[in-house]
Amino acid sequence: MNKLLIEFLSGYTATNQWAAILPEIMMGVLALCLLAAEMVLPKNRQAWVPRLAIWGQVLILMIAFGFVGRCSIGEFQYFSGLITQTDVTQIMRGFFLVSSIAVCYLGHIYLSKQTLPQTEFYALVLIISAGMMLLVQSTHFVMLFVALETVTVAFYVLVAYSRTSQFSLEAGLKYLILGALSSGILLFGIVLLYGIAGNPELLGASRDSLNYGELMNFVILNMNNMIVKIGALLVIAGVCFKIGAVPFQIWVPDVYQGAPTPVTAYLAVASKAAGFIVLIELVRGPFFGLQDFLVPVLSVIAAATILFGNIAAVAQRNVKRLMGLSGIAHAGYLLLGVIAVMRGVDWAVYAVIFYLVTYLLASFAVFGVMSIAAGEEDANQELDHYESFARKRPFLGGVLACGLGSLAGIPPLGGFIGKLFLFVAAFQAELYGLLIIAIVGVVISIYYYFGWIRECYFSSSSTAVVKDISCGATSSDRFLLGALTVASIVIGILPAALPIIR
Amino acid sequence: MTVGLNAFILVAGLLFAIGLLGVILRKNTLIIYMSLELMLNAVNLALVAFSRYNGTMDGNLFVFFIITVAAAEVALGLAIIVALFRLRQTVMVDQLTALSR
Repeated sequence: MNKLLIEFLSGYTATNQWAAILPEIMMGVLALCLLAAEMVLPKNRQAWVPRLAIWGQVLILMIAFGFVGRCSIGEFQYFSGLITQTDVTQIMRGFFLVSSIAVCYLGHIYLSKQTLPQTEFYALVLIISAGMMLLVQSTHFVMLFVALETVTVAFYVLVAYSRTSQFSLEAGLKYLILGALSSGILLFGIVLLYGIAGNPELLGASRDSLNYGELMNFVILNMNNMIVKIGALLVIAGVCFKIGAVPFQIWVPDVYQGAPTPVTAYLAVASKAAGFIVLIELVRGPFFGLQDFLVPVLSVIAAATILFGNIAAVAQRNVKRLMGLSGIAHAGYLLLGVIAVMRGVDWAVYAVIFYLVTYLLASFAVFGVMSIAAGEEDANQELDHYESFARKRPFLGGVLACGLGSLAGIPPLGGFIGKLFLFVAAFQAELYGLLIIAIVGVVISIYYYFGWIRECYFSSSSTAVVKDISCGATSSDRFLLGALTVASIVIGILPAALPIIR
Repeated sequence: MTVGLNAFILVAGLLFAIGLLGVILRKNTLIIYMSLELMLNAVNLALVAFSRYNGTMDGNLFVFFIITVAAAEVALGLAIIVALFRLRQTVMVDQLTALSR
């Protein structure tokens, strides 16, 4: 055997770091296993595929957290700076796994009402989850781009998954065009930063200028450079597209309405969470030196996002669009946390994560009820369908009320504590103007969330024969939705139950 | 005579701007698609130019990732456009308004 080859291989195995991303690799393998299982399993055993997906992910969740035993792992760099694992990325791993498990379950409910291929849905959900885990770990722009595109391209397929429905396809097309546009803008920003930071004539120029750490040092030395500022703005704009912040929010209501309900939930929760963690890593890492320039920009974006989301949601009758527009408002509240991080309030990162967790619990409860209550055409879910919903389905009505209450931020529920932490962080960062706007936003949001609850509980439609929207909840539906609701309440009463609060 | 870095960056910026305007102004989905590709290729051009003038290889490498991703995106995009055309008999964005209510 060639001696050079052996040397190369032994050198390679000496720095074997693949174990660091074991959960991500296992997710990818599980996705492939699902596709293989579909071919191997006989026709009447196809129901095993979703079970395999869900229980496989539960196993991966146990392995990911069994290795370290707790949520804190310290900070390590792998693959010569391509990814960095911190406590935050470890927590987010759990976050993405839990949300993809929930999406698989909701997908199972959704697909049982449609005549669509099943297995690919779960495989794509798993791949997206793995991509997002890598996305939040990446500390190199090439890694960031590749992970981001893995997530986005798989999302294009999922949004257009119901290919017999014109709504789903149209949403897919809109998401594709605007997603590709945002990727292009992000890339142009990255290129400008790469070019300027690698320029040997400038102070602090680096040979490895796509790396966050190197770029951070360069930006601190050249914070008044015009190209650095434009590049940073373009990168931030690309990320703002993904989180749906004004003025890049145009895709949100349409895509949320047209996409299958589980995919909407996935976009609303996990995709947004990944975007925010990336944004936080960017403003703490490479753009650390640009605070004076970026804080006003992001403040304006946050204020506009909160106001637009809440005001547009007031008049909305379609519940999926309503969730989309209110999701824009939630992105605005979360931006408050990001700005607090930039102003030096370090624990605001955990406030953001806490808020994301409460948002996950509440959103999946609401989207779960929507999946069960949806009829054949999943894009047309109007508020009127929920007339006296609670009288016909007391359990689902209760779950919906708790979820919406948590989203609105009503005291005994998790959403209240999440908002409280964010607002305290913003207060410590002395963002008084933004705080007032956020509180006005919360008041408006209570109006439309309670409009929905009122429709469920107090609508006086004795005459109208409300069409019976679907079959009721099975016992496993009840278990999942009940668990989400109970978790919402427990976190609201006892925030320390979440291990991220230290 | 050698062409300077500024010329490359100018061309890349122009291509990017043409692509961006195309995405915003044109109504035909296929042309929007081409404009998106133009934007990505502007990025590629700038990457290669920077890579050459800075004397690092990262940019050249990055280009391959971008080309691969662009190919995947186009394959998917055309599939969605074809499926939508079968359903609606149109690819003009101003007629695809089932969702904007």
